[in-house]
Amino acid sequence: MLATGLLFLSSGLFLGWSLGANDAANVFGSAVASRMLRFSTAALLCSVFVVLGAVTSGAGASAGLGQLGAVNAIAGSFTTALAAALTVTWMTRAGLPVSSTQAVVGAIVGWNWFSGSATDTSQLSRIVATWVICPLLAALVAAGLYRLGTALLRCTKPHLLRLDASLRLGLILAGVLGSYSLGANNIGNVMGVFVPAAPFTELSVAGFSVSGTQQLFLLGGLAIAVGVYTDSQRVMFTVGGDLMALSPFAALVVVLANALVLLVFASQPLSEWVVSLGLPPIPLIPVSSSQASIGAVVGIGLLQGRRGLRQIRWGVLARIASGWVTTPLLAALLGFVLLFVVQNVFDQQVVQPPG
Amino acid sequence: MNRAPALFAKTRDLEVRIDEFLDKVAEGGILFERGMVLLLERGVAPETEQKMQQLIQLKERCNDLRRAVVNTLYSEMLIPDLRGDVLRLLSHLYGLLDSLKNAFQEFVIEYAEAIDRQDAVDAVRDLVAVVVQSVQAAVLGARAFFRNPQAVRDHINRIRVYESEADAITLRLKTALFASDRPLEKKLLGRDALAVIDGLADLAEEISDELSILAIKRVL
Repeated sequence: MLATGLLFLSSGLFLGWSLGANDAANVFGSAVASRMLRFSTAALLCSVFVVLGAVTSGAGASAGLGQLGAVNAIAGSFTTALAAALTVTWMTRAGLPVSSTQAVVGAIVGWNWFSGSATDTSQLSRIVATWVICPLLAALVAAGLYRLGTALLRCTKPHLLRLDASLRLGLILAGVLGSYSLGANNIGNVMGVFVPAAPFTELSVAGFSVSGTQQLFLLGGLAIAVGVYTDSQRVMFTVGGDLMALSPFAALVVVLANALVLLVFASQPLSEWVVSLGLPPIPLIPVSSSQASIGAVVGIGLLQGRRGLRQIRWGVLARIASGWVTTPLLAALLGFVLLFVVQNVFDQQVVQPPG
Repeated sequence: MNRAPALFAKTRDLEVRIDEFLDKVAEGGILFERGMVLLLERGVAPETEQKMQQLIQLKERCNDLRRAVVNTLYSEMLIPDLRGDVLRLLSHLYGLLDSLKNAFQEFVIEYAEAIDRQDAVDAVRDLVAVVVQSVQAAVLGARAFFRNPQAVRDHINRIRVYESEADAITLRLKTALFASDRPLEKKLLGRDALAVIDGLADLAEEISDELSILAIKRVL
């Protein structure tokens, strides 16, 4: 039973691997590409903190995704994750920018469509709204941090070498925070669809109990870590500075803004605190770290006025924006087709009848 | 002295070396000026020979410092985006110090008798002072590049003004030299001597051009 479960999990692990290969670049890409940090150091830190974030704080965002559609059969989860992973892989191979979050959301909508389940439109609109809010928020946070940082640098006038050492340390700390946030927020993409049909039971080791979901997230986190180690170096060097040439200081601001925005959409305590202030809760759903990074870069560009606007490669931005529409559509369509194939050709139950 | 945290100890050590390097280049300017004044007033004397030795020792120490800084920058992979630029800046400043030493050496060996009239001696002293000011402004500009890139522009402007002033003094001296009744070989010797001094301000101006680009890169 467990072996079958693990076999079905393989598509989620594949998705985790591709997320690790692609999205680690948003966290450590600029630091590695600008040679401020060695790849080996970045990969180690990223892997450790992605796993930590996934296991300790992954539940919130994952539950948010579950509200969109509870994929209730393990073969259905397998197919949904496979559709998302294939979409991400194909689009990456074709050189098109892609967001794992959008692929997963598209694939879940595809499952809802196939199974005849109603898609929670309010949750879907909330998720789609984050595709706009997340880059906007990242742009605002980045612009604020950039302005604050430059004012601080003007005041303190650090020596070039001291600044370099501080930026290096800052990139490591921001990268660690970014990795933790990536694990906490994006584990929902990788393993969220498997939660309702998780094959693990609660485990107690030396007085500590690890729930089935946490075991699932640990496995997903490890898959992301493998993706970071095996294929993210190439992506880091390609992605670093693709949209706009960044100074090491601007790179630090982008990584920090990305980490903070991801944390905002994953942190249960923060959402509860916002509610205690009488404000509406922050939707805890996986958001795209690529979108957050892009938003942050554009935010810094806009802050620099006309000179910054000239530096942004608008063609690259237009290609990225077009991916935000095609990715969920392609994933939904592919999910529908694959579910049909798995159900009718491989005779697997992809939908559990209600009741 | 403010103690750096252990995390920044290596950086602090390198900062100290760069500062010492810049101090030595500035010191070279002062020694050159003092040596030239002594040479113009007393000719080749033990004091001028002593200034020559001091400049040679200064150059050797600067060379050691430059090599140590460059080795550390590359072996520790520091300031990856500006490492090459810093290396070039330090090399040009070292080249300037080397030119100060060479110019003084040429004066001691070849041009000691080139400027012999009192009015010319006063004007050459002026020229040397202006040239040394341009060298000191180049050192200040380099120091600002490391600590306060916004201030580099002010120093660049000063270098350019001093260089123009040096050109104007040189032109005036050459015109007076060739209008005089001195023998042709003396005129040619005097012309070459003036070109050697004026060339130092040109080198400082080349550093100012480089600094202006570096300052933009740092502010970005």
